[in-house]
Amino acid sequence: MHQHVSATDEPDKRVVPLPAVEARRMDAVRRYDVLDTPPDGAFDRVATMAARLFDVPVATVTIVDADRIWFMAAHGLDGVAEIGRDPGLCASAVLRDDALVIPDTFADPVACANPLVTGPLGVRFYAAAPIIDAEGHRLGTVNILDTKPRSITLEDTQTLADLAAIVMDELELRLSALHAVRRERERRKAESRHAEVQHRRAEAERAAREQAERDKAAIAAFASTLQRTLLPPALPTVPGLELACHYHTASIYNVGGDFYDVFPLEGGRWALFLGDVCGKGAEAAAVTSLTRYTLRAAAQLNPDPVSVLSALNTALLFDVSAGSRYCTAVFGVLTPEGTGFALTLATGGHPPSYHLRPGEDGGSRVRADEVRPEGGMLIGALAEANFAATTVRLQPGEALLLYTDGLTEARTQDGAMIGDEGLGGFLAARPGPLTATALVQDVVALLDSLPEGARDDVALLALSVPTPQRAAAPGTVTATTHAAAAPAADTRQEL
Amino acid sequence: MTEDLHLAVEHTHGSLTVTTVTGEISFRTAPHLRARGLELIGQGHHQLVLDLSDVGFCDSAGLSALIGIWHAAQGAGGTLALAAVPDRLMRVLTLTGLHTVLPAYATVADALAAHQRDTA
Repeated sequence: MHQHVSATDEPDKRVVPLPAVEARRMDAVRRYDVLDTPPDGAFDRVATMAARLFDVPVATVTIVDADRIWFMAAHGLDGVAEIGRDPGLCASAVLRDDALVIPDTFADPVACANPLVTGPLGVRFYAAAPIIDAEGHRLGTVNILDTKPRSITLEDTQTLADLAAIVMDELELRLSALHAVRRERERRKAESRHAEVQHRRAEAERAAREQAERDKAAIAAFASTLQRTLLPPALPTVPGLELACHYHTASIYNVGGDFYDVFPLEGGRWALFLGDVCGKGAEAAAVTSLTRYTLRAAAQLNPDPVSVLSALNTALLFDVSAGSRYCTAVFGVLTPEGTGFALTLATGGHPPSYHLRPGEDGGSRVRADEVRPEGGMLIGALAEANFAATTVRLQPGEALLLYTDGLTEARTQDGAMIGDEGLGGFLAARPGPLTATALVQDVVALLDSLPEGARDDVALLALSVPTPQRAAAPGTVTATTHAAAAPAADTRQEL
Repeated sequence: MTEDLHLAVEHTHGSLTVTTVTGEISFRTAPHLRARGLELIGQGHHQLVLDLSDVGFCDSAGLSALIGIWHAAQGAGGTLALAAVPDRLMRVLTLTGLHTVLPAYATVADALAAHQRDTA
């Protein structure tokens, strides 16, 4: 028998989809345009993650076509690209909204006749969660298979459903990319229409074919960029500035909800941001991609930090899963000014940054001033959110530290959080030089000295303006990344 | 699952409903808080006060749930207020500017008094 994980579900007697439902489902599959695309790192990663999480030899991500089941990604199933829609396993799983769990295929009246069960693979255990789009169409399934019977918990089933949701998020991002690319192509085409009137019909057709190839390449490039940006990027070299960063994730898969970036703007200016998506693991990482793209795109249109955060607020509110995705962030624009920089920094609900300057008496203590624009609200929660900016001047020998709350919420020996006061005190008392590299090293050493280290995601971004003695070198960048070796028991929670 | 978080409708004062939240609001239990809050609003409890005096812990996941409930209350033309907010959550509310839309009172009595003032 199928093990039913939803109390409201009727026993599934359907082995053939309803024609009208199936027609609408196939429209949705075509809309996402993924069938027979080349293997892709993002989906391979989901299949590999599923196999590792559930300790099964085979895990797959499939899209169900009209007459076949196509493998978008497969772990442990070399050389199989598609199978028929024989009832019992994937073909049945895609007919229902909840997960399908078959503890023992031999005991299941439908699955026992499926070729995957009777064939050389000899599948004895099968579980799958459907990949469901925003309109409720089931495009395919995320599947785990084993050659011996077993059972899984309700929480495991939820994890499987979460993996299916991650696949759906990725498909949605791709679809938006596809639309954006098409709009841009259409705009360019319109501009050059006058010049193209003379083209003969055959040439136009050839151009269209090439166009389609280029679209495909652009989309593939976009998808690979998405995958890469689940991790923070390498920082650029900024003339006259020393940059250092640190990234620690609580997830063993090295994806998290913290993010940062530094990138050039027109006119010799630079933009930087750092923030924290509410939530953890892969789900938060998907929102992180959206956030990073929006911040970069908005900054190119109008780099005013308050406008950029307002644009992100709007983007998160209008996202498909609006109402459940928030982040806090600081966004700044660096303008070279004399021997230093002017930094205009806006905040949206993010903890204060620290501006570090040598003590006035020349002693060992430094001045650690909070940079806290008044009134910046959480981003993505309210349509009417306000953001605020302030400008600080970074002179030679001065530094600025941006961080996420994984730092201030890390716990010391006595169990108390470091807190804003603790961090401010630490920064004022540390004896090291006021350089970005030393600053990040010292804060990482502080975290490493704690009994539990950093339990949550932590991102650090420091900038400093070298003193004239050190300024002979061009801009420098240092980066450290820590992926936590989280205990196995925590794995599921992090996803 | 949800056994470590519980919501109980304590009493109603005219249009106002006071609901006691007991337990820890975490990454795991926050979806339950959100679902129960939306259910109460769906049942017509549009003016909600959540009494958090028996909440031991609430992190940013709890914040998400509260925002979700606030949106639902707004959509129904109602309000959401908090009473006896734990320190850590209060700091987060202030940092994120949400205290300007999610009024937080020291006690349920204060929340009721404020409501009576507003509706007087």
